[in-house]
Amino acid sequence: MASVIVGFKLAGREVEVMASPLATLQQVLRTQLGHTSVKDGCRQGGCGSCTVLVDGEPMLSCLLPVQDIAGRSVTTLEALTPAEGLHPVQRAFLDANGFQCGYCTPGMEMLAVALLEHNPQPTREEIEDALGGNVCRCTGYEPIIEAITAATGSREAGR
Amino acid sequence: MTVSSYFLPASVPEALGLLGEHGPELLVIAGGTVAMPLINEGISLPGRVMGLRRAGLDRVERAGAELRVGATATLTQLVGQGDVPLLAEAASRTASWSVRNMATVGGNLFTPPPGGDVATALLALDARVVVAGPAGERTLPLTAFWTGFMTTALASDELVTSIIVPLDEGRTAFLKFGRRRANTPAVVTVAAHATLEHDRVVSIRLALGAAAPHPVRLTRAEAVVAGSSLEPAVIDEAAALAAEDADPVADAVASDWYRRRMTGVFVRRILEQLAGRAGRDA
Repeated sequence: MASVIVGFKLAGREVEVMASPLATLQQVLRTQLGHTSVKDGCRQGGCGSCTVLVDGEPMLSCLLPVQDIAGRSVTTLEALTPAEGLHPVQRAFLDANGFQCGYCTPGMEMLAVALLEHNPQPTREEIEDALGGNVCRCTGYEPIIEAITAATGSREAGR
Repeated sequence: MTVSSYFLPASVPEALGLLGEHGPELLVIAGGTVAMPLINEGISLPGRVMGLRRAGLDRVERAGAELRVGATATLTQLVGQGDVPLLAEAASRTASWSVRNMATVGGNLFTPPPGGDVATALLALDARVVVAGPAGERTLPLTAFWTGFMTTALASDELVTSIIVPLDEGRTAFLKFGRRRANTPAVVTVAAHATLEHDRVVSIRLALGAAAPHPVRLTRAEAVVAGSSLEPAVIDEAAALAAEDADPVADAVASDWYRRRMTGVFVRRILEQLAGRAGRDA
């Protein structure tokens, strides 16, 4: 079967891509649409570095055939980053030193954004549970949890 | 990637038509959380794949005294089923949030051990599997669904379309033991459903996951417990029988010896929990 055209929303804009059979959302985002914040980590669903939001829900783009999400809305870190400055969650990660090498950061931040959308005041345990599928080998997680906790505060202050 | 065709049927009849046309060569996936890692890694090299995400099988609805769970309902959908706490807990203890948003209830029946936590809970709830094929639908008890390691009673032209969960009265309990709290494969998983009259056990179903080729009912332990008042000697005997009946594999998570030993420990704990007594250590 030849490649198929798949249309979906990315950062609020309609995009169309030519996808080979079973091409993943991760491959399409990285190689055709330039959204390289979506990392190509383990391709096993085990590291969380490819996390994107599909209709606002975190999913692992390395396990998701792009045809499955035709017509749906995809959000990556590129989509969240304002033209100037930073998203409050990005600012919180920067302020708390929530990363060292930065490889896990886009996935962590996408998950943090989704968590705060679902639960604006998560407890520490809720943050830990939400992050359970995202691996960081540098920070020991504490600065990441601090960053998300701080982002909770900034969201409240911003209202 | 070797995949030459990826089909996304929009209905069950269309899916069955594709299965009939392509036969057992067609790899059926739903959430993709088990199959896609193998394909990405080149361990599985399917030529033709069918995805069920758009086949209209994702509804969870209550029908009288039963819960009808569509085969492609996600684990996240189950987490929201507060009136079936055993299922909600089993789902919430499986994998990570992003995986739960993708992984399906039907897919969990096909997940090799140590996966299958939700399948283990479904077994304790005496669930039935609805299967569609060219000749129509049939329903089989989950106890008859698995026939061995990664083999089922499903014919190659059949699909699991839903799982029916009876909402019987009774106490339930779920214990999953992993190497850490979240997003962890099981060393052992134990699920139970019991009805008690005063302190006496009228009926009990005990299901074991991760320590056998597929989730299994611990029928010898159940027989010892049924009719008892969960006295310590009964619990000791049931735990010993459960450990004997475990048939675990060794993997990176745990050795077979350890899984067998933990089967006894966690069957003991779940029975103590059902009895309303604080757990003793083994």
